[in-house]
Amino acid sequence: MHIPDGFLNSGVSIATGVVAAGAIGIGMVKARDELDEKSVPLLALCTAFVFAAQMLNFPVAGGTSGHFLGAVLAVVLLGPWLGSLVIGLVLLVQCLGFADGGISALGANAFNMAVVGGIFGYYIFYLLKRLLPRDKKFFLLSAGGAAWLSVVLASGACAVELAISGTTPLSVTLPTMLGIHAVIGVGEAVITTLVLAIVLAARPDLIRSYDYGPRMYELDEAEVG
Amino acid sequence: MRRIQHAFLDEYSDLDSVIHKLDPRAKLIGFVALVVLCVSTPPNLWLAFAVFLALEMTVLFISHVPLRHVLKRMLIVVPFILAVALFIPFFNKGGGSYNLGPLKVSAHGLTILWNVTIKSMVSVFAVILLSSTTPFPDLLHAMEKLKMPRIITTTLSFTYRYVFVLLDELQRMKRARDSRGWSGKWLWQAKVIGHMIGALFLRSYERGERVYAAMLSRGYDGQVQTAYTYRVGVAEIGFLALIVLVPIAVRLSF
Repeated sequence: MHIPDGFLNSGVSIATGVVAAGAIGIGMVKARDELDEKSVPLLALCTAFVFAAQMLNFPVAGGTSGHFLGAVLAVVLLGPWLGSLVIGLVLLVQCLGFADGGISALGANAFNMAVVGGIFGYYIFYLLKRLLPRDKKFFLLSAGGAAWLSVVLASGACAVELAISGTTPLSVTLPTMLGIHAVIGVGEAVITTLVLAIVLAARPDLIRSYDYGPRMYELDEAEVG
Repeated sequence: MRRIQHAFLDEYSDLDSVIHKLDPRAKLIGFVALVVLCVSTPPNLWLAFAVFLALEMTVLFISHVPLRHVLKRMLIVVPFILAVALFIPFFNKGGGSYNLGPLKVSAHGLTILWNVTIKSMVSVFAVILLSSTTPFPDLLHAMEKLKMPRIITTTLSFTYRYVFVLLDELQRMKRARDSRGWSGKWLWQAKVIGHMIGALFLRSYERGERVYAAMLSRGYDGQVQTAYTYRVGVAEIGFLALIVLVPIAVRLSF
């Protein structure tokens, strides 16, 4: 889903870039009290983690594979603002270090994956969590559902951007993208749920949006500060 | 201890050439400008794209980065072109049409296909030149000098440090998994991947906590000290003239 350079027109590139930079910027302002020098190693390790996790291909069906995006996982673990910042950073490294995703399309890619997949994904998760009973099982279910929907919505946003740019007709790209990602999204949902289940079993204090059980200890006490 | 094996990032960026020695700010600005100019060029200016490619080949030649490496890396855009763009000439209805056996190919659609293919190729070429002539830490330093928020550059410099450690960790887990007969063909086997990623997250996070404690005990106060010196000399100005002014001149002359 990483759009290369040349596929989008300048209007779409600039508009998505402004929205993505604005959202991540607002996020950085909102998270200012958390976002000091102290959070640097933590954010860095999470960025490296999402980056490494994206390199693991998982099987979709009989040989084809997709890879993990991790947007919903990041926002459930770190909250919507820090989570989307992490996804934005991963995209920046992939763009400059690997030519994966174009420089002029960085805004669009960040819009699709950090804003639609991350921030929007978080609020889907939050809504599901609120609607469902307060229970660990339903917590995981909401994260899984949000993960599936975030991948599908992000691919939809990608198809719409390509269509507005006049590259591909919406009538062909949208159903294809949604169809493929409805399948890839299942893998994303399964992995997001499994990862959260493991973290919940071992270190429930690390999941910022998990406020059901007693926390083992607060983050600040765990740090030598 | 075994050496870290992942040379995929920063490959060839430690060579010794005029391009490698340039101020990273000049390279960052130059290549980004080239990408922006290329993307905004109308598709019918064939000569302009030829000039972009010629410039890139010149930089490649001066930098001694092997062409094979660049071509290999350029393959990264091929799947996207195949999946998204290859069908365009068959669906688009604009312009005249040609008959290709039983299939109709529209001229307008072919223009779009050419447009996205050449632009993505030229741009990827530029980014690969940037990343294989500039070590990633230098690139981050250049971004910091160019007023990118410090929280971003500092975080990425740590990310760069630890991504190799995590990938090594992942490699070990993969080896353990594969030696236990994992074939990886079906969705239900995704459970194993879930467990691996979960374990990787816990190890990453706990490493982050340890690293932060270790940094504090060594006097970390949010400033990362570096010993880079930068200068903008004749070489930098020459490079920027070549990579930015030549394309602009070409664009204006049409």
